[in-house]
Amino acid sequence: MMTLVIGGAASGKSEFAETRVLESGEGPRYYVATMQPFDKECLARIHRHRQMREKKQFQTIECYVNLSSVTLPEKGTVLLECMSNLVANEMYSPEGAGANAIEAILQGIDHLRAQCKNLVIVSNEVFSGGTAYQGDTLSYLKTLALVNRALAAEADEVYEIVCSLPVCHKGKEATL
Amino acid sequence: MVFITGPLFSGKKEYAKALMHWNEQELETYAIWDVQKLAAGCQDLPALAQKLASYQVVIAVEVGGGVVPTDPTERAQREAAGRLACLLAQRADKVVRVFCGIPTVLKGEEPV
Repeated sequence: MMTLVIGGAASGKSEFAETRVLESGEGPRYYVATMQPFDKECLARIHRHRQMREKKQFQTIECYVNLSSVTLPEKGTVLLECMSNLVANEMYSPEGAGANAIEAILQGIDHLRAQCKNLVIVSNEVFSGGTAYQGDTLSYLKTLALVNRALAAEADEVYEIVCSLPVCHKGKEATL
Repeated sequence: MVFITGPLFSGKKEYAKALMHWNEQELETYAIWDVQKLAAGCQDLPALAQKLASYQVVIAVEVGGGVVPTDPTERAQREAAGRLACLLAQRADKVVRVFCGIPTVLKGEEPV
């Protein structure tokens, strides 16, 4: 079972994703954290998310690049957050896959899926603020969009989170 | 006319091809996309919408979701793009929003 959760900044997508993980009931719970802490703001965000997860009994696995290197001790439920960070890391980090970012990520996702019962992926909706992008930003947006679409095509359920409310685009609650 | 909208790179043209059973060449012949760009500086949006409605498929990128641009020209362009999208939706038999490759029918019959 694979679920894709997409939303804008501060839309409540993490909380929704965590609730989905808890509802799935299939432990143990793993949290694959993709954000590389570059500065204080990152650390504050990580701290806030860690507090949110504390009572929910997640085991955190840090993975900034190369999901294929992750080994999960047991078959449980995985929450991966956030795809937007992972794409940036794969594209621009010296250790990243660079031009092969999409393939590396999709292979990594297959690798995770093979090791768990449920996979919930959080990604970011950053595509509605105009088209005036150039260079690295444009190629980043294209890459993230292609990853999101490939994941959506594979996923059993796809939710867009709008001010903390889920809009189901695919899956049991979808109207289409 | 089918009006297809959605965020940037959401798979709108791919969806149009699938919906209409078109190849790339048919898409280029019977559809027009990035029409939000045509709205920029247009003096008569209803006339533009009317002209565009003669295509089988009209595609626009949703561009109104970000912060209001500080530049007056960009602000006017974004405003025009939104207005044009509304005019196209009114004229369309079917309106579809493609999000992350997945279509949601906003107007008209759902695909069988």
